[in-house]
Amino acid sequence: MNAHRFWNWFLAPGTLWILVLFAAPLLLIFALSFGHVDDFGRGVYGFKLGNYDDVFNSTYLPVLLRSVGYALATMLICLAIGYPVAYYIARFGGRWRYVLLAALVIPFFVNYLVRTYAWVALLADEGLVNNAIVDLGLSDAPVQMINTPWAVIGGLVYGYIIFMILPLYGSIERMDQSVVEAGKDLYGSPLQTFIHVTIPATQAGILAGCVLVFLPSVGDFVSAQLLGGPDTYMVGNLIQDQFFAASNWPFGAALTMIMMLFLSVWMVLYLRRAAKGEAEVL
Amino acid sequence: MAEQAIKIDGVTKRYGEFVAVDDVNLEINKGEFFSLLGPSGCGKTTTLRMLAGFEVPTEGRILLEGEPVEKVPPHKRNVNMVFQSYALFEHLDVEGNVAFGLKRKKTPKAEIQTRVADALELVDLSSRAKSRAGELSGGQRQRVALARALVNRPQVLLLDEPLGALDLKLRRQMQIELKQIQREVGITFVYVTHDQEEALSMSDRIAVMSDGRVVQCGAPEEIYEHPSEEFVAGFIGISNLLQGKAEGQGRVRVGGNSLPVPDLPSDFRTGDPVQIAVRPEKVAVDEIGNDNEKIQPGMFTVDGEIESMVYLGVGNQLTLKLASGGRLVALEQATYRVQSDDQWQVGQQVRVGWHPEHCMVLS
Repeated sequence: MNAHRFWNWFLAPGTLWILVLFAAPLLLIFALSFGHVDDFGRGVYGFKLGNYDDVFNSTYLPVLLRSVGYALATMLICLAIGYPVAYYIARFGGRWRYVLLAALVIPFFVNYLVRTYAWVALLADEGLVNNAIVDLGLSDAPVQMINTPWAVIGGLVYGYIIFMILPLYGSIERMDQSVVEAGKDLYGSPLQTFIHVTIPATQAGILAGCVLVFLPSVGDFVSAQLLGGPDTYMVGNLIQDQFFAASNWPFGAALTMIMMLFLSVWMVLYLRRAAKGEAEVL
Repeated sequence: MAEQAIKIDGVTKRYGEFVAVDDVNLEINKGEFFSLLGPSGCGKTTTLRMLAGFEVPTEGRILLEGEPVEKVPPHKRNVNMVFQSYALFEHLDVEGNVAFGLKRKKTPKAEIQTRVADALELVDLSSRAKSRAGELSGGQRQRVALARALVNRPQVLLLDEPLGALDLKLRRQMQIELKQIQREVGITFVYVTHDQEEALSMSDRIAVMSDGRVVQCGAPEEIYEHPSEEFVAGFIGISNLLQGKAEGQGRVRVGGNSLPVPDLPSDFRTGDPVQIAVRPEKVAVDEIGNDNEKIQPGMFTVDGEIESMVYLGVGNQLTLKLASGGRLVALEQATYRVQSDDQWQVGQQVRVGWHPEHCMVLS
């Protein structure tokens, strides 16, 4: 008993950290989301539900829906690109597999903001790609690539694809290879075997990858800010504006709470599914 | 003459420099229980995987009921495999696993249902039809793997050490069941194992493999009683190997003794080296001067001393040091011993004997 109590003390620093730096600010934001703005533009605590009404009005609702749409597109593109890459490394990487994985991970040590600026340099009207297109005579004028939804989604895919590849790699690498052989042995063509055997056998990795890409993509503001324009505004940008440019902290707080609630629902669904999957394996 | 299910014709498989399977020639009859037996790395699993289509032979041909199949991919071959790890589909229930092959072959739904039910009946798993693969015990998983393959009524069923993961008691039980099922369905079984007892008890014929080659192929009795060479004699059960020189008139000189060896082929000339083997269970051990109890008339006898003794439950395994030099292992059935204290002593002088016809000549 005493030994048990002794070990409990090791939780204290972490608990303190979480309470002071995470739980307390979150509570302040929650309280602020019911506040209002005074004559000087400062957030004041109070009680009104109006901030939450504003989140779902016709000005802001499209922004929320667009964020979810971009995040879904990002997730699907990451899956389509990431699965073959993860599959190749796990199955055919051989002694190069850790080198290949490192080659994928190392760029992500560079700050996300800096990497996104690199895309601006590439895709801008006077950027590398457009200069090449014009110089080669493929087009007379620069092709608009920046300030489009696809530039924003492209930035998100680039930013988060590693979170898709790593869990996929893990589940493909762990998969019992004889299961795939069994699929072929039981008259499954290569495509049928992939659909009916490989995908179900790696669904834990697919699920984890999708959640890990979808959740940060919904709240992202860097990609839309640097690669997008007014038409590609996402909820992350909206929140950022409330706290800085527009100076409406209570509304920004309400937006934050709604987004966190939305993401938590997905997170809980995922965790329940993952726990069930684990129980089945055991 | 039985119809031929498989003909393996001069098949060789190389991985770079390494020769996994070296010029194997085998003919397997329809309805036969055929075993590929050998230590790990002998090429038995590679041979099986070439029959399944997972590996393509570097040289040679494989005929399935007369049709060359060596380049046909696995999903287009009418053979099915029971994997060592069972390789069940964890996301499907037992029924889903068993129905997998029939669904890929676009079998009508009603037929799938009856055939899956029949297959589960055959392996005694009807009550677990809706269970997930993960909820089953090792023995049950093994049965699902068997039903999943048999339900397709393949021309040949391939089994890759299917009982290797089971404990001894379950393994014995499954050996009997597998053999029964094979008789019931009449499908050709090709069975890979490294367990000589398993191969002897289940097979109609056995091919013993070593270093990628088939060293002997024949019925279990033939392989056990007349091993063609030292490797087979040593791998199939324990053998006492004796080196000697031919003396003529069917006798071989071993150490200080002249042994009668009726099986000695006539092309051995006096002075040629001869290797002979005696199975431990053929060696009788008795007290000196008590010749009429276990040492029977007509036996060849030598004297020796008990060097060590291992109690095996069903009997004793005695290591004997012969007076003329050399050692012999004898397996004595417990039926000879009436009382528990009626035991041999290490160091005791004994007489050892065997019938001359139990001397096997190895090439």
